[in-house]
Amino acid sequence: MTLDKNGAGRVLCAAMDLDLTSDQELLRDTTTRFIESACPLAKVRELSEDASGGVEPSYLRQAAELGWFSLLVPEEDGGGSVSGEGVIDAAVVAVERGRLLQPAPFVPGNVVALALAAGATDDQRAKVLPGLIAGETTAAWALADPTGDWRADAGVTARASGGDGFVLSGTKGLVQDAHLADWLLVSAGSAGGPIQVLLPSTAPGLTVTKLDGLDITRSFGRVTLDAVDAPRAAVVGDPVSGRPILERQLQVAVVLTVAESVGAMDHIFSETVEYAKNRTAFGRPIGSFQAIKHLLADTSLLVEASKAVLTAAARAVQDEREDAGEVASMAKAFVGDSGIELAQNCLQAFGGIGFTWEHDLHLYLRRLTADAYLYGEPAWHRERICTIHEL
Amino acid sequence: MPDEPTELPDIEDYRRQARDWLAANLERRDPGARDRLRGIDHKTVEGIAEERVLQRRLYEAGYAGITWPREYGGQGLTAGHQAAFDEEAAGYRLPDFGVAGGTTMMICAPTMLAHAAPAFLRRHIPRILAGEELWAQFFSEPGAGSDLAGITTRASRDGDRWILSGSKVWSSGAYYADYGMCLARTDWDVPKHRGLTWFAVPVDAPGVTVQPIREINGDAEFCQEFFDDVELGDDDVIGEVNQGWSVAQTMLVFERGAGREDPVRREGPGLLAPDLVASARRLGRDQDPYVRQLIARAHTNDFVAAQLALRVSGLIRRGGRASTGLASYGKLARGTFDALRARLGMEIGGAGALVWEPGDIDGQTAAVKYLNGRELAIAGGTNEMQRNGIGERVLGLPKEPRFDLDVPFREVVRKAKSWSERQ
Repeated sequence: MTLDKNGAGRVLCAAMDLDLTSDQELLRDTTTRFIESACPLAKVRELSEDASGGVEPSYLRQAAELGWFSLLVPEEDGGGSVSGEGVIDAAVVAVERGRLLQPAPFVPGNVVALALAAGATDDQRAKVLPGLIAGETTAAWALADPTGDWRADAGVTARASGGDGFVLSGTKGLVQDAHLADWLLVSAGSAGGPIQVLLPSTAPGLTVTKLDGLDITRSFGRVTLDAVDAPRAAVVGDPVSGRPILERQLQVAVVLTVAESVGAMDHIFSETVEYAKNRTAFGRPIGSFQAIKHLLADTSLLVEASKAVLTAAARAVQDEREDAGEVASMAKAFVGDSGIELAQNCLQAFGGIGFTWEHDLHLYLRRLTADAYLYGEPAWHRERICTIHEL
Repeated sequence: MPDEPTELPDIEDYRRQARDWLAANLERRDPGARDRLRGIDHKTVEGIAEERVLQRRLYEAGYAGITWPREYGGQGLTAGHQAAFDEEAAGYRLPDFGVAGGTTMMICAPTMLAHAAPAFLRRHIPRILAGEELWAQFFSEPGAGSDLAGITTRASRDGDRWILSGSKVWSSGAYYADYGMCLARTDWDVPKHRGLTWFAVPVDAPGVTVQPIREINGDAEFCQEFFDDVELGDDDVIGEVNQGWSVAQTMLVFERGAGREDPVRREGPGLLAPDLVASARRLGRDQDPYVRQLIARAHTNDFVAAQLALRVSGLIRRGGRASTGLASYGKLARGTFDALRARLGMEIGGAGALVWEPGDIDGQTAAVKYLNGRELAIAGGTNEMQRNGIGERVLGLPKEPRFDLDVPFREVVRKAKSWSERQ
């Protein structure tokens, strides 16, 4: 990755310390161009005020053509990364998505595709994966319970039934784009430990409720399961030996969410620096005052440190290193806190204009705060780090 | 040059020779030895004398100044040879001159090599490598720290001599050093950056008084010096007269760690903050959810700081001139994370960090680290200076108005004194 030649203020825009392959650069550049034309911030705002809250089908299909939903699926299942390193490729896309606060279930869609590629039956694979990869159908991932407990067995219980299937009851929360999804991958606690099942949104007993929330750039819902039948054919992966994939799904969701956060942080911070150069008060640009300059310097330290730890996490998860879970958790804890602090600092630097609806700052504040909570808030990951170290 | 080797020794041959020599000539390091903890490990003049003997042994065997020029007593080899030697020597007891060792070898000597006259270098560099000259920096003053170009120690011309008067402070290990590398004002009638000159000042010269400063942690590792009409010669000038600011810039680059090897890419996050976990366990607080949050926070920050250092060194390596100012990120990260970590250590240590059995090093550790916690937030360029550097040179924010440029320094001093009357 080469440095921008435009000089001060642009030199640090490389979001990860990785040498992109030419194919990855192409993926990044086509992704950026697609986002800028298909869904600029004005469009993000428009979608936020539309009750259905979903992107047009053409957005998903075009994104799919760029490869957004195939990166974590092996070629034999119709997927394919651009570099042979799907997690890194997806993180490259996620950073660009984060810059302009893109809607659509990129993180959950990829996680579900990953889970199906790893553990689905041939029938599930044939029925579901092609549509997801082509952007013709979407999948939601129901992991947390409504209180924000991200352990796979939280909120929903799976009781063994009749043959070798389960009956699921309980409630999941914070499910992105649940009301738009054709498929839901639901995790649940069973007597033998956590399992996951893939259900059609039309499954009897399954109710999706779209909720209002802080982050208006995406929509979230609650999924209630009232004795929902999940035959053996709906179970993804062997209930016992398939468990490590749940951990990997969490790691991938964390890395991609951190990557989206870093893109958003980089973008709103650059806007803030430009504002500090142009806005004048007391006869000077406000960025010449140390009070603002130092605030922005500290904030840029958060941006740079977040990029550094994102790089480490993407690499560790890509390589499936033994410490990948811990490194991902450190990235999530640090970037979660930093994203919120950055958004607050940027709002302070913008002052009054940042307090208006018309200014984009609040969209970033909302998104970054939601990112901090999704797939585990900083405190949840810190406790996880202690547990990993057997403290 | 006749004594220049026609080709460099093969690194693996060199490594084998070094390994044999080390085994035959140096003692193994005590594996249980603690890392130096500032404020507990105090150097004495007698202790330093033993280290000088050890340094001389390295020098005579050709293992001092491995990458330094041969004409000044170095070996003229590559960083690869240095790295091979360092790897082989890792388990051995090497000379430990305390802070003055780093100041001499990593900051003063490299600066001299970049700026001093050949005659000066022939006189001093071999003695440095032989352990006969330890150098301190005579740099900051009681009245000038962040504003280094605002120093007021003066060197005045008197015939063919220079007469030095004034005071320097925060010189590490000056009480056992042999020389100070001293920045003095040699012209008061030009702007502040254009009237500065560097001198080599023998610590035992008539008129030099060195007084230890007792620091916040109770130790006295740093010193203040007083110069009472100290006589110096033209031979003692380092670099050009009145061009001292450019020498100072070089020195600051070395002080901030440029020229050192890149930080090692750690394979993983390492152990969970071992000092903090030990402290929590001593008090039986390791299952307290709040304490666990603090431990994980410190561990995460340690990891992030290491990753940031890698990112910054990579950007500097690739960016060349475009990367000016990026080194400030590493310094600011340490300046903020260290101070925070020290506070977390106290919070976790609780009562055990407030009182301890006399001589109990474990109990003392959190307290001493707490007292040292803001060291890198202040020393070698305060956090505020790093923030200015990042703000102006990296982010491109406009500079503050200044009142000390383009006017004779004499006038800057006069106007600053009557500042409030002017408002």
